[in-house]
Amino acid sequence: MRISKGALLVVVALLVPFVVEFRTALSWFGIKLTILESLALAGVLVIGLLLWAVWPENGNGGTGTADSS
Amino acid sequence: MATSPPTEVTAMRNAYVDQFPDEARVIKAAFWSSFIALAIGGTLGLVQALHRTDVFRFIQSPDYYTVLTAHGVLLAITFTIFFLVGTFTWAVTTSLDRGVVDVRFTWAWYIMMVIGTVLVAIAIFSGFLESAPSVLGSELNADVLFTFYAPLEAHPIFYIGLVLFVVGSWLAGVDWFRTWLAWRSENPDERIPLPTFMVLTTTLFWYICTFGVALSILVFLLPWSLGITESVNPLLTRTLFWYFGHAVVYFWLMPAYMMWYIMLPKFSGGKLFSDPLARVVFVLFLLLSTPLGIHHQYLDPGIAEGYKFIAMTNTMFLLLPSLLTAFTVVASMEHGARQRGGEGYLGWLKALPWRNPIFTGMALAGLMFAAAGFSGMINAGMNINYLVHNTWWVVGHFHLTVGTAVALTFMAASYWFIPQLTGKELWNRSVALGQVLLWFIGMTFMSNAMHRSGLFGMPRRTAEPQYQGFDFEPAVGTVGEINMQVALGGVILTLSLALFLLNMIMTSIGDDSESIPDNTYAGTLSGAEDSPRILDNLKLWTAIAVVLVIIAYTLPLASIIDAGGLFGPGIEGVRLSTWVDPAVIESLGEVIR
Amino acid sequence: MSSKTEQREPEHVQTLGHEEYDPIGTAILIGIYFLILVLLWIFMYFVEFLGNGPTVVGMALTVVGLA
Ligand code: HEM
Ligand SMILES: [Cu+2]
Repeated sequence: MRISKGALLVVVALLVPFVVEFRTALSWFGIKLTILESLALAGVLVIGLLLWAVWPENGNGGTGTADSS
Repeated sequence: MATSPPTEVTAMRNAYVDQFPDEARVIKAAFWSSFIALAIGGTLGLVQALHRTDVFRFIQSPDYYTVLTAHGVLLAITFTIFFLVGTFTWAVTTSLDRGVVDVRFTWAWYIMMVIGTVLVAIAIFSGFLESAPSVLGSELNADVLFTFYAPLEAHPIFYIGLVLFVVGSWLAGVDWFRTWLAWRSENPDERIPLPTFMVLTTTLFWYICTFGVALSILVFLLPWSLGITESVNPLLTRTLFWYFGHAVVYFWLMPAYMMWYIMLPKFSGGKLFSDPLARVVFVLFLLLSTPLGIHHQYLDPGIAEGYKFIAMTNTMFLLLPSLLTAFTVVASMEHGARQRGGEGYLGWLKALPWRNPIFTGMALAGLMFAAAGFSGMINAGMNINYLVHNTWWVVGHFHLTVGTAVALTFMAASYWFIPQLTGKELWNRSVALGQVLLWFIGMTFMSNAMHRSGLFGMPRRTAEPQYQGFDFEPAVGTVGEINMQVALGGVILTLSLALFLLNMIMTSIGDDSESIPDNTYAGTLSGAEDSPRILDNLKLWTAIAVVLVIIAYTLPLASIIDAGGLFGPGIEGVRLSTWVDPAVIESLGEVIR
Repeated sequence: MSSKTEQREPEHVQTLGHEEYDPIGTAILIGIYFLILVLLWIFMYFVEFLGNGPTVVGMALTVVGLA
């Protein structure tokens, strides 16, 4: 793990405002996402994040920060 | 480093309840009063969110305003202030390392506040009755919203309850001052410990600002609702309300700020960056909290633009302490993260204790407050305010401030306080972490949609904002989508609230635990010895604060009374012009304009 | 200060005093926040002063004053 499980959970939560606002922001440029498309985007982002988080770091693979306290 | 893991049974537990068992009981009672208000008020919030958006309507629309009054009063006044008095009592006793002078006095003000709340609640909730009973010669109800200014009129019991509640809070302030004076006579040369300093400065501006609302209730609203006076000057009661109404915002916020200053650094694993900076911030709040209430009245006719401009200028100055706070608090978190081995420009963020619901709740609350900083700057600008005034934008804004920065910090702090006050371990830390994250997510949905609704003109305080022959035109998406987002956010928030209460109840009925951490707060990197002594001169700051209030309010109040009479237009006899030459006010007014 | 502020942190790996500690990360974060505020203010300027009406309605282009 590259980040602790707690931090991962927090980053997932932080994605929510990002996706919600991203949809609004895109529409100023004439790109209108439907709700389903935004949900799909959110799904892709979460999966990407999870992959990044569990991917071993260069060299010392697997010895992530221990999830403590 | 020399530490014992939290699970190891230490010889002597040293939680708050072990140090101050008597005080712990009062504080616990205050917290439970606040949780009950939160439970009822939050549930009503869901009712509102579903009703307005027409997702689910089970009350009559006229009753919506009873619900809204209860939601506003229970959450913005009862929940926040009960939590505040508990926190402040904890802070004074902990940092002075001594109990209150007489705990019976502490119980007395607490009970007074409870009686006040019960009276207010009876008056409000009678609004749901088919035929409300007649008490004291008028029908029992109080559909006046939490701002309770004229022309809305409540039953006298509502005002009497409010007075008892506020006087109770004044006595709480007396209690803290008394305890501090007793400490000072034993420690004549020491600096005021930071937490006590925060409590005292906050209490001082509370005295200054509640003076206005006491005047409004005792001289105008209560006699009016009792039928003693015939009418009131609505603009005057509005202005007196907002004289108090902005400062009360900071009154809610100060216990949250205190938690960010003295607890968040500790949970981050570090120290408060600067004690002097923290003192400066609280002094600035004492000085500036009150003389800017008119910024809530940018659209009120009858107040000259010049006064509004002055209020706007003061408001912009008040951004300063909030920015100072952002810097100090984040720097303290970074200090903690680096002591925990965090590295890099931003990589240290990973080293913060995100698994800890107390830390994460407070950090997310602070983040939402930063977002609210932007919508607040829009509200504060006189011209741009016209765009959003009385729309749902404003409701979106204050659900980020009081509804999250304050409420979420309080909930997160409860995960620390309740074990300290009961000697029982938190029931479930994972549920607690989920709870704070859910609040953040739910509020993102609800508040974002509210802000956007405001931009296309959706009004606040409206049971059925669906109009015939008129459609709102959102810039993005549809009204239906935005309504769904509000409803979804409301449901998630209510779920989060339920999880919070569950955790509090389960913790309270759990077993005693020996592994409660000691009752401590954060140390400082740059301590009190670095802050100039003049910062502790409370008399000086109070005097300046009073002068600023007089400067900001004398002329506006004089011209309001001159134009509309003390007790309403046409009620002669107390016209201000009998003692001030109207020409003087006229010409002063010209200068301002 | 007093024992009231003494800390015991299990994850504590180093102690940083006032001299060794330089809040560079904080400066970056606050800088980012200011940048966002400025961008939003600029955006608000277009909406409020160059838009066609007092509220955000209509096409994106009219709102940002391009059409
Ligand atoms: C379960 C969470 C909550 C939900 C679903 C919720 C929902 C709402 C809604 C929909 C309104 C707008 C009513 C309208 O404009 O017609 C509102 C107003 C308000 N809310 Fe909340 N809210 C929640 C939590 C809170 C909290 C925690 C606070 C404060 C600590 C708060 C304070 C207020 C205030 C002061 C108003 C304005 C009342 C008025 O206009 O008189 N709310 N809430
Ligand atoms: Cu205000």
